[in-house]
Amino acid sequence: MIRRLHTGFAWLATLLFCLPIYLALVNAFKDQRQILANPAAPPAPFTLGNLTRALQRPDLLVQAGLINSVVVTAASVLILVPLSSALSFYISERTPRVKAALLAMFALGLMVPPQVVLLPIVGLLQTVGLQHTYTGLILANVGGGYLSFAVFVYVGFLRGVPREVIEAARVDGAGDLRVWWQVVFPMVRPATATVAIFLGLWVWNDFLNPLFILGPLKGQTITTGVYLSVGTYSTDYGQLFGIMFLAAIIPVVGYLVSQREFIHGLMSGASK
Amino acid sequence: MPRTRRSVLLSAISTAALLAVAGCTPGESSNGGGTTLTFLTFETPALTAKFWDDSITDATKQLDGVTVKKIVAPTSDRNAYAKQLQASGQFPDVLASINPKDFLDAGLLQPFDQAWLDANFLQPNGNAINGKTYIPPTNSQILPMVFYNKDLFAKHNLTVPTTWAQFADVAAKLKAAGVTPIQLAGAEPWSASMPLVGLVSADVLGKNPNWIKDRYAGKVKFTDPDVVAAVTKQRNLVKAGAFGDGALGVNYADANKQFLDGKSGMYLMGSWFIGQITAAQAKSFGGFLLPTDDGKQIVPFNVGGTTSVNAKSANAAKAAEFAKAWSLSPNNLKTLIETDGAFPMLKTVKLEDFGATVTPVFTDCYKYVQENNTKVSSIGWVNNDDALPPGVADLFYALSQQLFTNDDVKAQLAALDTAWDKAAKK
Amino acid sequence: MTRRGGLAPIAWLAVLLYALFLVYPLCRSLFLSFTDRNPLKADSTFVGLSNYLDMLDDPRLLATLRFTLLVVVAVTVVANVFGLAFALLLNRNTANYRVMRTLIFIPQVLSGVIVAFIWRSILTQNGLLNAALAQVDARPVAWLGSTDLATVSICAVVSWMTIAFATVVYSAALRTVPPELYEAARVDGAGALERFRAVTLPMIAPGMTINVVLCLITTFKLYDVIAVLTGGGPANTTQSTAYYLLEVAFTQNLFGYSSAIAMLLLALTAGIAYTVTFLLRKREARL
Repeated sequence: MIRRLHTGFAWLATLLFCLPIYLALVNAFKDQRQILANPAAPPAPFTLGNLTRALQRPDLLVQAGLINSVVVTAASVLILVPLSSALSFYISERTPRVKAALLAMFALGLMVPPQVVLLPIVGLLQTVGLQHTYTGLILANVGGGYLSFAVFVYVGFLRGVPREVIEAARVDGAGDLRVWWQVVFPMVRPATATVAIFLGLWVWNDFLNPLFILGPLKGQTITTGVYLSVGTYSTDYGQLFGIMFLAAIIPVVGYLVSQREFIHGLMSGASK
Repeated sequence: MPRTRRSVLLSAISTAALLAVAGCTPGESSNGGGTTLTFLTFETPALTAKFWDDSITDATKQLDGVTVKKIVAPTSDRNAYAKQLQASGQFPDVLASINPKDFLDAGLLQPFDQAWLDANFLQPNGNAINGKTYIPPTNSQILPMVFYNKDLFAKHNLTVPTTWAQFADVAAKLKAAGVTPIQLAGAEPWSASMPLVGLVSADVLGKNPNWIKDRYAGKVKFTDPDVVAAVTKQRNLVKAGAFGDGALGVNYADANKQFLDGKSGMYLMGSWFIGQITAAQAKSFGGFLLPTDDGKQIVPFNVGGTTSVNAKSANAAKAAEFAKAWSLSPNNLKTLIETDGAFPMLKTVKLEDFGATVTPVFTDCYKYVQENNTKVSSIGWVNNDDALPPGVADLFYALSQQLFTNDDVKAQLAALDTAWDKAAKK
Repeated sequence: MTRRGGLAPIAWLAVLLYALFLVYPLCRSLFLSFTDRNPLKADSTFVGLSNYLDMLDDPRLLATLRFTLLVVVAVTVVANVFGLAFALLLNRNTANYRVMRTLIFIPQVLSGVIVAFIWRSILTQNGLLNAALAQVDARPVAWLGSTDLATVSICAVVSWMTIAFATVVYSAALRTVPPELYEAARVDGAGALERFRAVTLPMIAPGMTINVVLCLITTFKLYDVIAVLTGGGPANTTQSTAYYLLEVAFTQNLFGYSSAIAMLLLALTAGIAYTVTFLLRKREARL
């Protein structure tokens, strides 16, 4: 009985917490009149009009935004994962003093608010002719605070990797590159999952960097595209929720699919 | 297993290499030899996406090989967005309704030629800064007007006030009757500025039309008693509850709706609001000037216009052509007259020649433009020599919002003085 | 040590990128903070400490700092209390509870922009909440329009996102507590509260450190939620320092001054994050 009561209460609290998401979800499938008449009612009658209207926008906000987001996120994560895990292995093999110095430098990246470095980065990219390019945005992602986060996750995880395994591989004559690739990288898989999932999420949801680096002419990511397109005075909630639904579907589905890895990653992260 | 992982790494590296080599500029379109211009616009309930698209089509009809790519500012603050674009190297070729003074020091804007201005406009120098014009003076505005709900006034036996004392009395009576006396679009600084702009323009500039030039010369200050008195009037209205609860949460679109739905008695807004009043609603609404203490009529006046040209654009000549074509297009002006309440200032085309359908509210308010009366610069809004130093207009607008929470009028005006001196010096 | 070959170039490439895109911009910002750089003027001059002295006499900066600290403290406290409460409530390993834990995290998966748009449509003057209130003939409430309520709304929305994160971290941490410890405590006659204090708290202390520090760091950067939800209004009362510094840069064109504020923000974030980490780690050791 108490057990059932507990479960009932837990569900109540969870559903209350998720109410805004429920609202965004059901209202994506209702027309404006239905939404204002009763925002919380389920979508009956059901309409796909909001989604088709969002997809038929002449500026291709949703389609272009999603493609840009996928490219930028995939490239950033695919470069960051090997780069940061190799770097972390390299760092953890250094003498304590060098290691401490390098880690102190990378700790900075965790603290720096993006606003602090944004304008100089834009200036730098202009100097080298990479302003308003995906390359510029991806480089800024790879070299910025995300690298710091990945380094800290990997270095923390590597502390738990037994030295003997690495030494054994060395005795077998493997160079550091091979030790990293064949021994270390497979062993830090949970850390890789954490890094890939979190960075993927953060890069996808990033706001200021794409806003300034890509600019309005060269196509936006979906996150900034939504910001730039939904005007201040828009009270067309059907349209708004339709766009939100399409913009959110990829990260949410991605999360639901990868949540087992996700929880594992978090657990290893949280207990470190 | 190792193979798949290696291929992941390989693909990552090759992606990176590919991106680096290609320089990858997505979404760039070229159109075989023609010129593509970028045009920064902004959207309001009157100036919709369709209006801008149509106006661009109309203006490019007469130009060969010019296509225009529209950039829409994410908020109504296109001025800040223009600076943001400039900082990231994407300053547009043509810009709609920015504050030219902000961009002049950097030489970013190209003036229009005087002969063209003289030939086409009633006040060719209405937007001139140091003798040069960066926005064609195509139309004019009274900013703000006091719009009022005739039905509500009749219902509560109120007449149009002609002095400040009567105005305050009308507000008090509406309040007592349970009607929000004055509608405010307080959510954004530009629209929240209206009462302040009205009071300072009428009470301060009405007495000394050269006040802004004197402020530049350091002869007057915001902390002078006459300014403090004018601004205190707004603070007193706030304290009397004249703007209703939660006025700072109401955005421009919501405010329009509430006023037109009869939820409030009066509304201080630029004359462009006339365009939001439909023909069916027109009999219930009218406009008057914000009254002064002695009842002297002061018109806070702004010569408007839209298009500024980027002087550093690779296509500056084409951009200027487009800007001129846009500004003289009778179709564009007709739409602006109908939807944005624009009072036309073209030399060659009279109001009746546009074929625009306007309401009696428009014609009544237009009389203030045509009549021989005291017109002063609408402070914080004009784009000529009376424009405030860069950034100060925004602080001035925000002051109108701060008056809702801060009782110390003089200290806030002192902060404005400090900001002015800093901005004008640099 | 010849075998090191191969890894070092990759590592130093990473360091180089980091130097280019983080260390250099940081130094550049520091340098600009000593100049009167204005993007709309051709040249800038060295002005020494004058930007830093200007900060002392800037009531708006003070207001943004006060607001930022208020939000940071409120969000950190609310997110950790509710996050821990949720984690404890949902700390069972059945399908039901796994689904609940999955649902709770969704706000964190969405971008700040989308979260803020969803909440804006709920809280705005003609929004869903006021529409619902109108159904029961209640007066509309200016959730984003009165200075106090707007601040509360911002705190609530940011907390909502952060609770999601905190819950999952605490849930993960709770699962590292061996059940035997509870049994042992129970045998010793410890009550629920005592068990929580003596067993749970020490075991989840590292999770708490992570939550608190990440919460501090991310809330200090707060920008996108404010940009969408209130635009800094009403009357600039919901401007975070991170928001204000971009406004100084782009409305007032004062890049030099904006860089000085950026340095202040960085010093504050780093100082508070380091102090809190230090204190919590010390406490972890004591527990």
